[in-house]
Amino acid sequence: MADRTLDHDRAARRLWPALALPGTFWLIALFLVPFYAVMAVAFSGYINVFGEPIPAWNPLSWKFDTFTQVLSASVTGEYRAVWIRTGTYTVAALAICVAVGYPVAYYTARLAGKRRGLVLALILAPWWINYITRMLAWVNLLQDDGYVNKTLGIFGVAPISWLSGNAFTVVLALAYGYLPFFIIPLFASLDRIDQRLLEASRDLGVGMVRTFLHVTLPLSKIGLVTAMVITALPLTGDYYTNAIVSGSPNTTMVGNQVELFLLQGPQKNLGAGLVLLLSLVLMFFMAYYLVLTQRASRETR
Amino acid sequence: MNFEGFDPAGRRRPRPQLSRRRLLQGTVWLGAGVGAAPLLGACGGDNPAASSGNSAPYPLARPDRPVKLPIKDSNPPIDDGLDPETGGVFKILNYDAYMAPGIMKAFGAEYDVDVQVTPYTNYDEMLSKIRAPGQSFDLVFPGPGQMSKMVFTDLIQPLNHSYIPNLENLWPEYQDPWYDKGAQYTVPYTIYTTGVVYRADRVSSVPENGYDLIWDEKYAGKIYILDDMWEAIGMSMLRNGLTTNINTSDASLVQKATDSLIELIDSVNIKANINAYTEVPEGKATIHQGWSGDVIAGQYYLPKGETPEVLGYWVPEESSKRVTGNDCIAIPKSAKKPMLAHTLINDLLDNDISLRNFGWNGYQPPINKLSAEYLIDQGYIPKNLGSAVVVPDDFKTGITTYEVAPSTEALWRQNWSKFKAGG
Amino acid sequence: MTDVKAPRAAASPAAQPTRVPPWRNPWRRPYVLAGITWAYVVWSLVPVLVAVQFSFNDGRSRSVWQGFSTQWYCCADGSVGEDSSLLRALENSLILAGATVLIATPLGVMLAMGLTRWRSRASRVSNGIALVPLVTPEIVLGSALYLVIVNLYQFVPLGRPAMLLGHVTLSVSYVLVVVRSRLQSIGPDFEEAARDLGASPLRAIRTILLPMLMPSIFASAMLVFATSLDDFVVSQFLFGDASNATVPVRLYNAVRNAPTPALNALATLLLVASFLALVLAYVGLRTRRRGTKSALAELTDFG
Repeated sequence: MADRTLDHDRAARRLWPALALPGTFWLIALFLVPFYAVMAVAFSGYINVFGEPIPAWNPLSWKFDTFTQVLSASVTGEYRAVWIRTGTYTVAALAICVAVGYPVAYYTARLAGKRRGLVLALILAPWWINYITRMLAWVNLLQDDGYVNKTLGIFGVAPISWLSGNAFTVVLALAYGYLPFFIIPLFASLDRIDQRLLEASRDLGVGMVRTFLHVTLPLSKIGLVTAMVITALPLTGDYYTNAIVSGSPNTTMVGNQVELFLLQGPQKNLGAGLVLLLSLVLMFFMAYYLVLTQRASRETR
Repeated sequence: MNFEGFDPAGRRRPRPQLSRRRLLQGTVWLGAGVGAAPLLGACGGDNPAASSGNSAPYPLARPDRPVKLPIKDSNPPIDDGLDPETGGVFKILNYDAYMAPGIMKAFGAEYDVDVQVTPYTNYDEMLSKIRAPGQSFDLVFPGPGQMSKMVFTDLIQPLNHSYIPNLENLWPEYQDPWYDKGAQYTVPYTIYTTGVVYRADRVSSVPENGYDLIWDEKYAGKIYILDDMWEAIGMSMLRNGLTTNINTSDASLVQKATDSLIELIDSVNIKANINAYTEVPEGKATIHQGWSGDVIAGQYYLPKGETPEVLGYWVPEESSKRVTGNDCIAIPKSAKKPMLAHTLINDLLDNDISLRNFGWNGYQPPINKLSAEYLIDQGYIPKNLGSAVVVPDDFKTGITTYEVAPSTEALWRQNWSKFKAGG
Repeated sequence: MTDVKAPRAAASPAAQPTRVPPWRNPWRRPYVLAGITWAYVVWSLVPVLVAVQFSFNDGRSRSVWQGFSTQWYCCADGSVGEDSSLLRALENSLILAGATVLIATPLGVMLAMGLTRWRSRASRVSNGIALVPLVTPEIVLGSALYLVIVNLYQFVPLGRPAMLLGHVTLSVSYVLVVVRSRLQSIGPDFEEAARDLGASPLRAIRTILLPMLMPSIFASAMLVFATSLDDFVVSQFLFGDASNATVPVRLYNAVRNAPTPALNALATLLLVASFLALVLAYVGLRTRRRGTKSALAELTDFG
């Protein structure tokens, strides 16, 4: 009996790595290697007859001229405005997410009472509606003769052309698109706050605002940061929202340039260079998020 | 011509690349391409006026320098006397809304295939899609501007004329065009001019230089240009009187033309797409750089109750100042149903079918029977859109986008991406 | 004013001041927050309902209501029933999402078990790799996969195979996170007990661990399905040609060309399909639920 258990222990020691193996291989082959391919293309020194880069798989033959050009164009040249625009849109859309998303998550997690299930279901609903569909819906509403302008017309506002390169529309659409992704993690973190802490605060006669500022907000800080990071990452790389509700060079974001280079033409070295740069910029946030979650998961152990 | 793969790392390359020999011959553009691919600037270049100095590894056809494309043993046409393939999917790589759905549907029903169109918005995107490894398409619609390159890299296969008896319906000059002598690889699909499509009911007067409409701040927010670097930058060159050579490799000219387009971003909130045929009739655009076919097709996209009189189309009066172009039909080397593709090509050159197709997409096929007078008589082109008719003279004397050296393409792309980035 | 009906209030006998400004009163009903929340719900869902409305429009317009008609479902020119590419897109989306669930879920569950119970330096590295896709913007993942498939993995054709690889890579980390948090809360005691009683490790997993993990496996499968259906970027980079386009890719391309209400009809059909999947999953979960955690709780755990 004891032998068998020992056998099983040994088997178990081999079993866990064996279980982890396929997934690890998958991620190496389809995540790490692809990322290397981005570098091989970005640092390629040769182009073929179509103007397309020939990937340099050997790091010793990497040429950094193209990447340097992308970098300098981003810092001082023609892409500078694109990066600034991308940053501005991200910050603005995030601000809307916080302003709208926090109260909603807070209400749903703490105050909805017996309607909680219903509210939660309604808030989760956009998750099940395709992102592009939700953008399409706004394209319907924001047409020159659409419902939004008609409604505004009732109040005597002249029709606004929302869909012709309007930065305001883009920011609003981004916020609309990513709010569900912002609310859910925040909700989860607010939901975990111990109700008794809040009750104690109230029992002591502390008002709602002060309870919020001194108890809820500090306790939900990690949740808030997580939600912001998890929203900011895809938001910064977004190109389709912009393409659908604007399509104007006026509102070009980094993602649009990446799409232009990678999918609509041969200059894939430029596209890959921009992707690398974008990854570098976002690396900080990604690392921060990973550290946070690792710490959180260690605490639960 | 030997076109074996070249790869600095010595890896087997399944896709056509530049030959080592070409590289060693020191073609200027490749030398510059090392490391400086996107910013080739003024080096290399292609001057069509000079017969020497061809810096592309493939011949650059011009009307006065026609090209007979080579037929390689490794890329032969299909045999005579085959039966059309049936069943499965028939894949077309084409602009969106460029072939009548009814024709594709009838064709699909006849041969029991599911006809699928993969759309692109410009030739660069077309090349990108057709070159992706593992992809196969049965029919593609390139312009003369990509032809040599596509033949030299084995992207399209030669046609077997025994399956295309309708070739004789074409204008004589198109049975033996300058970019593909003997129509060995392609047949023409449509011909068009590029001009300005506008709402006649909102534009009070058209200036003598109609391109000025695009710079007119009166219509700010409602002005579009074509999402195609050759058309857009070329138009800017003509409007600003920089040059009539819209294939120039002169970096300063391309830059000036682009800068003028970039000004439009702030002054009129310019946008770029290729949908003049819907945007103008539906009223989203007042001014839209567009092709002649757009305005003719635009009649069918008018809201209920509006008549074609609200549409207008401006091109220069004289043929020699008009920007003209044509698209061709070719069969990709990767075609799984090459015989069926020949059948569809022959159908599209049929007098009745091409008329039906024209009735849907608005783009004139260069077919003898479908002369301008005939189309107007038949009511396909309203009188106020007479300027959208393309005549043979436009082709003999017009301004055309030709195939250029890779360095010139890179120069134009670099400028275009600057415009796309918002300046 | 006072919320005497709420159990919390009953549990707190603190004397209520009779006159305090509303922001000082801890027991005031949260009207403002409720207002914002309901306004958000309206804002987030009404546009979609309008999009559904226009799928029934009796005319080409997607902004002016011209009467009710089902012509964009069938059988006007270019309607979903007539345009085979639209129905094919729906079929592609559903097949792809189903296949992604079938591959990503077992892969992720195995990874979660392995990484949670296997303690070594290698496992920590592996753990790190596994979490990075979760925070990688889709455009980075999409372009990286595109470049590697076009340049290196040329045996993988663009189209359904490439999209499947992409979607699994995109979603396997979700499974990992959801299942792992459940594994950690269960702890290793149960399997160890089973093994002490003589069960082989595999048997312990099958009879003890898997049933306990079922709710979280189910929740992560739902998450994978939703992720795959929703994905646009990876599909857009990898779809190859129109015969493989998914609904989002088709919608995106059409919005930029010549949109008709047929698009709204297509979007509506996808909506119905994912709603059905949700209901099925919910029913399945109810009948299978063993643990104390609800599926919703499992879902919200990630992040």
